[in-house]
Amino acid sequence: MDNILTLLVFFPAIAGLLGFVIEEKSMRVYGITVTVLEFFLSLWLWGIYDGANAGLQFVEFVPIIPSMGVNYYLGLDGISLFIVLMSTFMTMIGVISLSIKKNLKNMIISLLFLEMTMIGVFVSLDAIIFYLFWELSLVPMFYIIGAWGGPLRIYASIKFFLYTFTGSLVMLVGMLYVAYAYHDLTGVWSFALTDWYSVVFSVDAQMWLFAAFFVGFAIKVPMFPFHTWLPYAHGQAPTIGSVILAAVLLKMGTYGFVRFSLPMFPDAAVIWIEPIAVLSLIMIIYTAMVAYAQKDIKQVIAYSSVSHMGIIMLGIFAMNAEGITGSVFQMIAHGIVSGALFMLVGMIYDRRHTKMMDQFGGLASVMPKFALIFGVMLMSSVGLPLTMGFVGEFLVLIGFYHVSPMITILGGTSIILGAVYMLSLFKKSFFGPVTIEENRTLKDLNANEIWSLLPLVVLVIWLGVYPKPVLQPIDNSVHALLKFMDEKAVNEETKALIHVATKTKEAK
Amino acid sequence: MIGLTHYLIVSAILFSIGLVGVLRRRNLLMLFFATEVMLNAVNIAFAAISHYYNDLTGQMFAFFVIAIAASEVAVGLGILIVLYKKNGSIDLDDLVSMKG
Amino acid sequence: MENLIYIALFAPLVSSLFAGVFAMSPRATFVGVISSILLLVSFFASAQLAYFVYSTNAVIHTTMMPWIMAGDFFVEFGFVVDHISVTMMTVVTLVSTVVHIYSIGYMDHDKSFNRFFSYLSAFVFSMMVLVMSDNFLGLFIGWEGVGVCSWLLIGFWYHKPDVSRDENPSISPSWAANEAFIMNRVADLGMLIGIFILYWSVGSLKYDVVFATLPHLSETVLTTAALALFIGAMGKSAQFPLHTWLTDAMEGPTPVSALIHAATMVTAGVFLVIRANPLFAMTPEVSFFIAGLGTFVAFFAASMALVNRDLKRIIAFSTLSQLGYMFAAAGLGAYWIALFHLAAHAFFKALLFLGAGNVMHAMHDELDIFKMGGLKKYMRWTYIYMGVASLALAGIPVFAGFFSKDAIIETAFNEEAYVLWGMLVVTAGMTAFYSFRQVFLTFAGVPRYDTHHLHPHDMYRYVLIAMSPLALLAVFAGFFKEEFEAFVTHLLPSYHMSEHTHHLVGLLTVIVLGFAIGGIYLAYKKYYNGLKRDEKCENSFIYKLLVNQYYIPHFYEEFIAKPYTMISQKLWQEVDMKIVDAIVDAIAYFFYNSGDVTRRMQTGNLSHYLNWMAAGTAVLLLAAVLFA
Repeated sequence: MDNILTLLVFFPAIAGLLGFVIEEKSMRVYGITVTVLEFFLSLWLWGIYDGANAGLQFVEFVPIIPSMGVNYYLGLDGISLFIVLMSTFMTMIGVISLSIKKNLKNMIISLLFLEMTMIGVFVSLDAIIFYLFWELSLVPMFYIIGAWGGPLRIYASIKFFLYTFTGSLVMLVGMLYVAYAYHDLTGVWSFALTDWYSVVFSVDAQMWLFAAFFVGFAIKVPMFPFHTWLPYAHGQAPTIGSVILAAVLLKMGTYGFVRFSLPMFPDAAVIWIEPIAVLSLIMIIYTAMVAYAQKDIKQVIAYSSVSHMGIIMLGIFAMNAEGITGSVFQMIAHGIVSGALFMLVGMIYDRRHTKMMDQFGGLASVMPKFALIFGVMLMSSVGLPLTMGFVGEFLVLIGFYHVSPMITILGGTSIILGAVYMLSLFKKSFFGPVTIEENRTLKDLNANEIWSLLPLVVLVIWLGVYPKPVLQPIDNSVHALLKFMDEKAVNEETKALIHVATKTKEAK
Repeated sequence: MIGLTHYLIVSAILFSIGLVGVLRRRNLLMLFFATEVMLNAVNIAFAAISHYYNDLTGQMFAFFVIAIAASEVAVGLGILIVLYKKNGSIDLDDLVSMKG
Repeated sequence: MENLIYIALFAPLVSSLFAGVFAMSPRATFVGVISSILLLVSFFASAQLAYFVYSTNAVIHTTMMPWIMAGDFFVEFGFVVDHISVTMMTVVTLVSTVVHIYSIGYMDHDKSFNRFFSYLSAFVFSMMVLVMSDNFLGLFIGWEGVGVCSWLLIGFWYHKPDVSRDENPSISPSWAANEAFIMNRVADLGMLIGIFILYWSVGSLKYDVVFATLPHLSETVLTTAALALFIGAMGKSAQFPLHTWLTDAMEGPTPVSALIHAATMVTAGVFLVIRANPLFAMTPEVSFFIAGLGTFVAFFAASMALVNRDLKRIIAFSTLSQLGYMFAAAGLGAYWIALFHLAAHAFFKALLFLGAGNVMHAMHDELDIFKMGGLKKYMRWTYIYMGVASLALAGIPVFAGFFSKDAIIETAFNEEAYVLWGMLVVTAGMTAFYSFRQVFLTFAGVPRYDTHHLHPHDMYRYVLIAMSPLALLAVFAGFFKEEFEAFVTHLLPSYHMSEHTHHLVGLLTVIVLGFAIGGIYLAYKKYYNGLKRDEKCENSFIYKLLVNQYYIPHFYEEFIAKPYTMISQKLWQEVDMKIVDAIVDAIAYFFYNSGDVTRRMQTGNLSHYLNWMAAGTAVLLLAAVLFA
């Protein structure tokens, strides 16, 4: 199957187009069918993916504008494989658990288009195609927040759009410069990432380019101090919007760092470790504290996302296989866990039409199943061993310890501060007596909700106990990435800092 | 002896008169007159310079300008009449429906 | 043998899952019975393994499957059954089995009966993982697992509301549960750091590999690693300053206090020090710090127990104090004595707690010993059990505590740490006093409760029978000291008293005994014939200081919890909203407003446009002239 990636990218979009002619009442079934098919397609992709091969696989190459070197160039390695799987999985779960009644048809079509752009971002190997999908992903999300959101939805969606758009424009300038430099060097135009990798920039140029890409990616992550669009977007977005936003869209930023910044500008990345580590620390500690101060359950989880993304950023800049592999794994773990948490908040919102903690209390006695699943996700979120959250967080911290023990100790406070805001959230909403009359009659989860949450619970525990099938392909690709960076680096200090694992092969 | 400089000075004076007219007048018709003055100022300059260099291109260009100016006036006056019929005024201060 | 290991390990997990299936159904006795049977199976498997290790001196290693692998990092689910872990396994499963059976009676009327067994068995599973793992990360799984189970079980009665600290020092079960979890997390960070240090300097987390590599490491690495690991131990074993959660944890059901907060989980810290003894043996400074801190906590906790009125809290303080003893022994290098005291303490302290549970059951959850008295008439067996356990705790000869605690005090003398020795001796006297103060106030004298409404009666017969193994062990465990030493010193360094100490051993024992008996006598005189309250004493500064736990919980509240909340609020409302977000919005509004201002140029008046055009041309011409 040569064109599986094309199929994977455009199947949801074509299904979305066809969706316009489907009747409103059968739309839900249609949406579920398409996303399930898409998920199985990605599972199949995993099945035929060669885990031992660390390089790019399923590569497709069709010239679009040969004179400018713009090509339809797709491919995937261990790093992107699982993010793609996670995207299709979360979209599927999101659509299954969809509780929106208003304009369901438009919602599902938007989601299908969004799915196309998400997968497109993760499998593009051509900067122009990447940029295209990257920007296109804003449109359906803009629509989802703007059309189905809360009272401040217009403000939130415009903020989301303009903020991330501004960042990506700066990134575009960087991309054009790289293409120009490549042209200077070789005399031909190319936007293919694999060609760009071969360009060795001077450290000065690397610094500027790294900064340009940094702005684009950092806003998407979102890194402190560019994070303020996120609480608004989450606070106003409908449940499905938050789920996809937290699970997948944020990962585009961190994925960008791994795919572009590290291999293209290894020296700049090493020089930038310290400022980025400091920003990540601020993300971890500061947003954890802000999360603790929140009164709205959804905002707590939104800020906790920022805090967890801080851990992921730390891992990416650990410059060793432990940290980067852990980071990529944590992207997936965070996608699943925060997605699940947003879904859970959505379920309680559907029942009570409020997300304020002081409106709850004692839910554990009224909704034990809900409390149980929430509890499992909470524990994974605070990084309990044998859940997904631990594996990633642990690897990131152990990886970064090699770079700077002090920063790791400070970053490690996330396991304390995470417990503080999460447990206080749990106590306020689930423990204590039921004080508000309305809460006494709340219905526990229904079958549909349980069936959409159960796969997440299973995954969180399964990948916490046995992460090997996911970790190994990621690790192989990360290993190749590090080796490449090490060879490409200009500065001696960079080579010294990049820690290429030696025993990876033996360990297998 | 009247030389090139004098022609150019006349041309510049005429152009300035036209420019002031364009800037200061509010009546559309007067604006047209002013533009015509400016165009003719340029024509004088063209003709004078053409003569000075002994190159007919400048005079040819002056004819072009005259032709263009004539057609411009024809179209412009047409619009002007329609505008007057519609609004009952050709004063620029009254024609401000396209503001931001 | 491998099968036995997995049976011992997974029987509790099966039990937990089985009970979990019924967690949301109405209470069913069979759930408790089956859980107890599974725990018994686990105990038998552990006992058989213990016998195997005892008879063959073999160490069994087994690997279940790989867990995390990334870069050079590689860790598996590997288990080791050696002399240390098998001792822990046997103690843990034995106490757990007793507590499970006990809970069938104790939780009889609780509507969440099934859920309770699910949590309790899950705890035992985590504890087994903790003691059986053959690497530090496996230990950490169990370490966090017991933390979560402890959180679940302390907050078991989560529906209780928060009350003020004056009314209930632990505010509410859910509050206490969160406090315990978060405080443990602080320590866990230390433990993680220790793991990181070991990984980057050794390259593996397996005990065998790590301990074999230790001699090649620098002193700084060893010291920081030992210190970091010990910080982890301090949290789990509730050592000062992370001790406040343990007394608050008494909000949980009493069987939980017996199993988790006395016999097993809190000893995990001591277990870690014993397990990693090669590391601690090479870092004398850290070891001495451990011994010093242990002794301090022994004394410090005992002092708070002297005046407390809460039946369970007194026992909790005494647990803290005894943990201090264990750390003192481990810090002084007498690892096997620490392990011995750990086991003996598990038996008599669990017994003491379960006895307290019986009293609570009879008194309808009353905990204030000032409102009890005269219960021995109605609760003969509980009186005997608690009496035996208290005698063991006080370190009276024949009973288990005598052998283990006396050995620790001797060790302190032997190491010429006379200050520690002195403190430990005094603490022994205090221990005897508060234990018997509690026993006499509860069981002796005349009833101080409302005799019209309360008709105390002893626990169910089967519960009392189930407690008997603990009682027997509390009495007889001490006699196996020699065998125990011979068994565990196959793996642990043996510890011998010097000639000098050997000569003085009789005298030393008499001194300690003198303090212990003195304590009991004082308690007898003061409280046996009923409670005579001493207003003057109760209003004294020291009494108040002790009752309020040296105001440490207040201190934490005022200087950590409240400022944290306040700073968080400020950060959100002042910094995030008013600075970071405001700047972003300001930039957006700048462009918006500048557009709004320049929009006015678009008047619609052609004449104005022409003016602008002329001005623009003039400027451009000027620029062309100037820069050409």
